[in-house]
Amino acid sequence: MTVVGRGVAGALLVVLLLLSASVQSQERGVTPTEVVIGTSQPLTGPASFWGIPVTGGMDAYVKLANEGGGINGRKIRLVALDDGYQPTRAVANVRELVESTGVFAIVGLLGSANAFAVRDYMVEKKVIWINPLADASMWTGFKGKQYLFVTYVSYTDEGRLLTEYAAKTLGMTTFAVFYQNDLFGKKGLTGVKRGADATKTRIVATVPYEVTDRDYSGHAVKLRESKADAVVLYSTPTAAAQVVKEMAKIGYRPRLISTSALADPAMFALAGEAWNDVILAAYFPLPGTDSKVDEVVATIAKGNPALARAPINAVAGVSFVEPFLEGLRRTGPTLTRDKFVAAMETIKNWDGDVVRGVTFGPDRRHGVTRIYIVKTEGGQFKRLTPDIAYPVGF
Amino acid sequence: MELLAQYGVVGLATGSLYALVALGIVLLYRTSRVLNFAHGDLATFATFICYTFLTQLRVPFGVAVVATFAAAVVIGAGFYFLILRPARETTLLGRVIITLGFALVLNGVAIQLWGADVRPFPFPLSDARVYHLGGVVISQISLGTTAAALALMAALYGLVQHTRVGLAMRAVSQHLIAAQVLGIPARRIFVLTWGLAAMLGAAAGILLAPTALLDPFMMLDPFLKGFSAAVLGGIDSMPGAVIGGLLLGLLEALFGGYVSVQFKTTLAFGIIIAVLIVRPEGLLGREFKRRV
Repeated sequence: MTVVGRGVAGALLVVLLLLSASVQSQERGVTPTEVVIGTSQPLTGPASFWGIPVTGGMDAYVKLANEGGGINGRKIRLVALDDGYQPTRAVANVRELVESTGVFAIVGLLGSANAFAVRDYMVEKKVIWINPLADASMWTGFKGKQYLFVTYVSYTDEGRLLTEYAAKTLGMTTFAVFYQNDLFGKKGLTGVKRGADATKTRIVATVPYEVTDRDYSGHAVKLRESKADAVVLYSTPTAAAQVVKEMAKIGYRPRLISTSALADPAMFALAGEAWNDVILAAYFPLPGTDSKVDEVVATIAKGNPALARAPINAVAGVSFVEPFLEGLRRTGPTLTRDKFVAAMETIKNWDGDVVRGVTFGPDRRHGVTRIYIVKTEGGQFKRLTPDIAYPVGF
Repeated sequence: MELLAQYGVVGLATGSLYALVALGIVLLYRTSRVLNFAHGDLATFATFICYTFLTQLRVPFGVAVVATFAAAVVIGAGFYFLILRPARETTLLGRVIITLGFALVLNGVAIQLWGADVRPFPFPLSDARVYHLGGVVISQISLGTTAAALALMAALYGLVQHTRVGLAMRAVSQHLIAAQVLGIPARRIFVLTWGLAAMLGAAAGILLAPTALLDPFMMLDPFLKGFSAAVLGGIDSMPGAVIGGLLLGLLEALFGGYVSVQFKTTLAFGIIIAVLIVRPEGLLGREFKRRV
């Protein structure tokens, strides 16, 4: 090799080293013009009823931010993968998003069991995770919460408060629980048990179902046999609609109580006339009850008219992504994971377009800790209580 | 006792739909020895067609059902004629795999055309109107779907056992070459069988959809149950399919009611394994021997 050749080779080596150093210092998923975020959702299968509008709402709201010029000069790109509501596929999706797509953060990820399946990986890889749509109480006592921020509801507290309300205000004395046989349903069941203990009422039947079940006639007979005053549903919309129909088919019409995950107008179409006078929890203003939320629905439905048919899940999607966007705004132009976390920790009693009163802090990752109770009446939601607070869990 | 009767009624209502699915599978198996894995997806696809007739074109229910049956016959017969028959040189296993591929194609097309979300299926009978027979409660819709399923089974039995077409179907299933030598148009019989099986699937889908709710994966569980019912009853016996279906529905309901609702599906398959160990040909099946 000539001296000139050696010089050129040396220069190239220096350039390569500099390049690799700059690549290393650059945050994963962040370029000067773009931030890439990812989510894993049930876009097919038994929970697609949630996954499709939630993802649609997230996507529409991100697009809206991009149309306004992005945040700090960066456009946001959302990569959504389908997990069919299966934890194993959620794990594969998250690995792909982090290791192959290279996302800055995971936003959303629907399903308590799915979130549980990926959580160790998220901690190990130090992935920023905004709003796993999973029972929030699963983070209580959890150590690796540095990069985690949650505004989602705690099913344990929700189930407890719903049961207490039904016992104290509606005079229910016996409860049966129809629940999904996974973390989501079991956390709800735990909540109902705590509520029953607190009010000296009784749980007379607990009837689990599997996400793959399609026939709920046997479950309905079991629920009827319990003769409970009220049946509490911790299930997918499909399972709830079917078991309610099956109960009606054998002449059993107890008071129905259910999670905020089923506070969706689409249930009126799925479950029909049986979905009347149902007691439900909510933790953000429901469409039709708040002008700002209605405005969001109207805006996002312009680009994706299907979202207007599932407005609550669509605005829930918005509520999952908006704290992330607020964090980006607060971080400023230099975007790193730690700067982002520090910016998120400054969020105090913040109102988004959908989610309200969010507070994070250096020791607080549980952003919203309250629900309120509504009932369905003639295809509408009627608010029954003011906000009911529960303890900050983590 | 009342509770037992209630589980019985619920189980038989579910079982009659399993039986309908099983019949479609058995009908094809008897004639062509092909296990049709596309049966469930074809049923779902046909149910979506019916849904489109009802909600988009707003035709009366009866018309929508007849039009759906016609569409199902065309799809089923078309699949045989255009895909399976040209591939007749492949092994039996190869043909079974082709049906599996067809199932995936149908599922994909259904998701593309109608989306993956869950829809309520309009049905002329009410699930809220119930009849009390002693302590047993049965809804109008359960009564209607069970009666419709039983009527379809009876009609199929009549067709296969008491008509010339049925005789030809039985002859083809017994010995294809001998049937052809005797002048039976075997190809037409195959087309007819595939069409009929698809129609049975469509009927099962339409009867299931009002309570199971319609989405592209609706028939996954009922197809597996129907398939198990067919194996339980004897995969080449039509009465076996009916008895297998009713029995499976009944056992599931009773086990779910008295033992564990969590393990009722597991139990169904446990029983099937037990039956197959004791009686490999199924309850009413015969050990298959071709007459020579």
